Amino acid sequence: MIKVFKSQMTRTLVIRFFSSLLTLFFLVSFLFFLIRLSPGDPTDKYISAKLGSELSEKIAEKFSLNQPVSNQYFSFVANVLRGDLGVSYSYRLPVIEVIREYITFTFLFSLISFILQISLSIWLALWVIKKRNKWLDNFVTNSSLFVYSIPAFVLGVVLIYVFSVKLNLFPISGLKSLDYDYLPFLAQILDRIHHLVLPLITLTAAGVAMFYKYIKESMDDVLQQAFIVNLRATGVSEKTILKGHVIPNAIRPLISVAGVELGILLGGTLITEVIFGLPGMGRLTVDSILSRDYPLVLGCVFAAGAVMIAANFLADIIKLKLDKRLVKGILN
Amino acid sequence: MKPGFKIVHWIIFLWLLILILRFDVLIDYLFLFFSYINLLFTDTGSALVFLDFHFIDASLSTMLFLLIIPLILIFNKRLGFVKAGLNFSFAFLIMLGFIFLFAPIISNENPEFSKNLSVTKLLPPLSSVKQLELISVETQKLSDAENFSLKSEQVIKPAFNDNIIFADSIVVAQTVIYYQKNEAYEIDSKKLIDKKGQITIEEKFFLLGTDEFGRDLFTRLINGTRISLTVGMCAVILSFIIGIILGFIAGYRGGLPDIILNRFTEIFLAFPIIYLIVLILALFGSSIFSVIVVLGISGWMSLFKIVKSEVLSIKQKNFFSTAELVGLGKVQLLLKEILPVILAPVFVNILFLFSNVVLAEAALSYLGLGTGSEYPSWGSMISSGQEYITKAWWLIAFPGLGLILTLFAINSSGRIFGKLINPRLKE
Repeated sequence: MIKVFKSQMTRTLVIRFFSSLLTLFFLVSFLFFLIRLSPGDPTDKYISAKLGSELSEKIAEKFSLNQPVSNQYFSFVANVLRGDLGVSYSYRLPVIEVIREYITFTFLFSLISFILQISLSIWLALWVIKKRNKWLDNFVTNSSLFVYSIPAFVLGVVLIYVFSVKLNLFPISGLKSLDYDYLPFLAQILDRIHHLVLPLITLTAAGVAMFYKYIKESMDDVLQQAFIVNLRATGVSEKTILKGHVIPNAIRPLISVAGVELGILLGGTLITEVIFGLPGMGRLTVDSILSRDYPLVLGCVFAAGAVMIAANFLADIIKLKLDKRLVKGILN
Repeated sequence: MKPGFKIVHWIIFLWLLILILRFDVLIDYLFLFFSYINLLFTDTGSALVFLDFHFIDASLSTMLFLLIIPLILIFNKRLGFVKAGLNFSFAFLIMLGFIFLFAPIISNENPEFSKNLSVTKLLPPLSSVKQLELISVETQKLSDAENFSLKSEQVIKPAFNDNIIFADSIVVAQTVIYYQKNEAYEIDSKKLIDKKGQITIEEKFFLLGTDEFGRDLFTRLINGTRISLTVGMCAVILSFIIGIILGFIAGYRGGLPDIILNRFTEIFLAFPIIYLIVLILALFGSSIFSVIVVLGISGWMSLFKIVKSEVLSIKQKNFFSTAELVGLGKVQLLLKEILPVILAPVFVNILFLFSNVVLAEAALSYLGLGTGSEYPSWGSMISSGQEYITKAWWLIAFPGLGLILTLFAINSSGRIFGKLINPRLKE
């Protein structure tokens, strides 16, 4: 298709990039389609009385609200791709600015949780394998399935009840204490961590259980292969086998799961942020829905979708770097 | 055949349990059913008026309850699964099935019934209050239809009933005095005397306690189970239909439809699905119907992929080309040749999908975007219980436990079936 690029690798990446762009374009079209299809006046989804007449007129002009539907569609796509998602009713600010303020927290929050999920599940799987205890193995597998079955909101509420209400160890909600601004720097960090312990447990538990299942299965797979037996026979220590051979081989299939997991993670942050009252994208979305702030809702959904698409693209690049045999398979 | 506790034993045990504990309700339902048939012959017009959801529900449940054991014994041979060994997740799923089918028998209260808040508010589990029932003063001769409606209200309890009074304690003297939170009220004992000349003072027992409006948590939980499972099943069926049709088109036709559908699937997969659900519910309003539709259209992607790859391999098989040459239409090909073959591999996926949908429905209800306040569902019960967490742990504990155990049972039986179908996973 594109003969300019010499190596197949680059060509694949370029095609993959354009397919991501195409998906993004479809996403925008889908959002527009939803707006037109939803009951009520479509212009209500862009402007409201809360904005005042001057601002409303500006937005109406920008989104071609007085023109035929096809023109509206083109200006919607153009505006969204330019990063202009309209003006939020309740904040009276461009949607993109509101989102920028909130997305940092969600990004950091889910990143920390993601790292915790991966490292804890690998550690757990290694621990179980080292113990070589059938009973323990079954126990951990079953309890990981049980933990996986606990919905985030039940876990969060139970944690609040036990640790905040009964034991009074952690704060119920929020990201910082009232006297946060007067604390020294180190205490500020500790305060943040203190506030984030329960939310992180809530968000991480199910992910650890899920990753554990995948990692354990692929580690068991790797451990049964001939080259491991060979290594053992030549007298390589168990520690080297696990660290140098089992983990790198077992972690590979995990990367394709990680892309899917990100979607679950974003859904999880939505619930977790609502339970613990944290200032992130999830709570912003739910709040904006409850206050009927349509531009903000659309913006949040678009941002989440865009992040997802970007992350899947990134996951594919990493996959390609690790395993060059996938060059053809990835484009399907 | 190994001896041991089998699924059929568990079913019979649950059946006997309900039969013994709810014998009076069953008799009442049967009586009501036959008096309805009687009414149908004498006064057809008003009989049709009484034909509402609760009555049909109760009658169907009763009929099914009486028939289920004979049916299982008759079709013993065909229902092979009842002879399988019992484990926790199967047992729990069968219990859920019983709750789903026989909810009106297990609890004939109305989930919205609330009265005398000061007495019944936030009672802990296993508590009970005194209950007085006023006698409605209608001595004149009643018609058949009125008689039926009176009887029906006694059996299928309505959401409002002025004749019931809950009290902490009751003193019977010349007049009856009852206490509600240290306030004494007096009532003429004549109003309480029934035909046998006795004052009926009953104990109202709340197995799982009550919520902030004095509603019976047990009844709400039973009904919530029904709502959650109904939403889950309908959504899964919708996903199944979408996935199987699109998968068949993509796999059978190939070419352009295949490419387009693949793109389309990728869009849906490259999306944090809960944001999509939330957006659609925000734009289109949330009702039980829209929740089902949204959950249904957001879960078909994995089914699509499985069906597509299965169809691609079936297409090569001899029996399929024969069927094509014989001249079966596309619909017949799908229903008669493909569906029976792919049912087994798809089944596991459907189970996992079901657990996802139940979880998503609960999460949506928790966020206040779900089936709404009109129906009790697990998520909305947890969400409203959160406010009273310091005072009433049972408001969260029971729906939460129900949800966790349901998801666990579905997931773990999904794993068991997966191992059966795909023996390679068996180490």
